Amino acid sequence: MYAGPVGLAQQIHDYNVHIDVNDVFWMIRVPHDAVEVDFDNARASLRVRGLKVFDDHDLANSLTDGLGLPGDLGFNYPQIPGVFPTRASVSFDVEWNGIISAAQIHNTGQHFQGSFLETNATIEWSSDQPGFRFQAEPANPARNLISVLGNEKNGAFFM
Amino acid sequence: MNTTYIRRRASRRAFLGNVAGAGTVIGAGLASPNPAHANNDGFGQPNPIPGGLAPFAPFGVFIHHNPLNAASSIGSLNDPSQITDFKGFVGLTHIRGGGTGTNTMTGATQSLSYQADMGFSQGEFIGTDGRHHHGTFAFV
Repeated sequence: MYAGPVGLAQQIHDYNVHIDVNDVFWMIRVPHDAVEVDFDNARASLRVRGLKVFDDHDLANSLTDGLGLPGDLGFNYPQIPGVFPTRASVSFDVEWNGIISAAQIHNTGQHFQGSFLETNATIEWSSDQPGFRFQAEPANPARNLISVLGNEKNGAFFM
Repeated sequence: MNTTYIRRRASRRAFLGNVAGAGTVIGAGLASPNPAHANNDGFGQPNPIPGGLAPFAPFGVFIHHNPLNAASSIGSLNDPSQITDFKGFVGLTHIRGGGTGTNTMTGATQSLSYQADMGFSQGEFIGTDGRHHHGTFAFV
């Protein structure tokens, strides 16, 4: 979330579930019925209420474990002060709906294969934490930059 | 993952553990029994995909995730799953929008923008225990 245009220096909240103990990135188990998929019709939904997350303030702190970025060593990053994460909860409805393009992929370098659809998508979401809450605008298909659905196999299931 | 990061993460975990032990002195939020990391215990824990990137190299962590790129065609998609040894459905989004933030102490409101990179995985995976599991995961 940004106080101004999307950009690291303007970011004031970063909600995520943190990387798990096995290094899986920002994935959290949810009830089976939180996700509904109708792949043949390019439709899917993800609905979760009151998910406990961390607010790392910004992506830089999220990915440096709260150390921030120095910003003065010749790298192309702004200086980001270190911030300790706080607790928050988020609720969201994400909808994938309608094919824009499709591809069959068999990627021997990354060991994954499957059917993939670029789709339209919308989101409505909110957050709540001590002293602050956020309510996103109503779902708006024009806000989608790129969204994808896939029916895939990877790793040991790759053939 | 580099050893520097492992040491930092271990330090943070240890610190969070000490904070939790301090109880109400610190505050209810930090004293919560919730773990410092996503808790995928109990029903089979997935492994990460081997690939990914380090967005803030040389600082920060290597993340096992391939962000969507709106400038690329669907045919050049990188693996959108965060879980390896996986067979099932995946979804990812890259959406920007706006909304209203409210200071709940004062009632003051502010227009804010957001970027939502979210998704899901639902299907079968081989867990860290080497066994086959089924699961539904949100990417948040």
